[in-house]
Amino acid sequence: MINTLRELRAERGWSQGDLADALGVSRQSINALETGKFDPSLPLAFRIARLFGKGIEDIFDDGLGHMKKAAE
Amino acid sequence: MAEVTFREANKRYRRAFIPVMVVYTIAVFGGSYLLKQFETPPTWLAAIVALIMAAPVGGVLWLMWRLSRETDEYTRQQQMAAMAAGGMITAFFSVVWGFLELYNVVPSLWTFLVGPIFFLSYGLIYCVSRRSFGAGFEK
Repeated sequence: MINTLRELRAERGWSQGDLADALGVSRQSINALETGKFDPSLPLAFRIARLFGKGIEDIFDDGLGHMKKAAE
Repeated sequence: MAEVTFREANKRYRRAFIPVMVVYTIAVFGGSYLLKQFETPPTWLAAIVALIMAAPVGGVLWLMWRLSRETDEYTRQQQMAAMAAGGMITAFFSVVWGFLELYNVVPSLWTFLVGPIFFLSYGLIYCVSRRSFGAGFEK
């Protein structure tokens, strides 16, 4: 799954450690999320979305969003 | 599951791990010293001493379990995968060695070594998995 976590973090001038502290997870987790090596659980995805004041789908993209839009 | 952060979970682990290791060290040295006082220690005493020596290892396993429950989901996934791999390596090694032993190719292995083989294989796999993601860290 691709995501805009790195961009959102950079916009705020946060380090991976800052974001990890804000979410109560390890810096390794943030790195794995940003590089797409790890997909978060729904509760963690909600926490990330709330922290950035965005919806989950604004941050995470499973690559099938275009299919939904095409169907609409 | 308790709601604690990654940092808090690690602190809780370290705070409990050190006393357990102190108890283990005292049990090993104290138990050995006690048994040396007898020419032939009674079986019941040897059994009690052995169980007291082993108990802190059970404590460490419980602490590892608690840490895996309390830590963040990514670390938990890494730890569980490393534990499973460590268990499989230990089981496979035991089976291979067992067959070799059956046909007198190798000498009989001390059962005591199974624990260290598990901890070593688990630790190595966990370190390798951490390193593979560690390279991309940004300060």
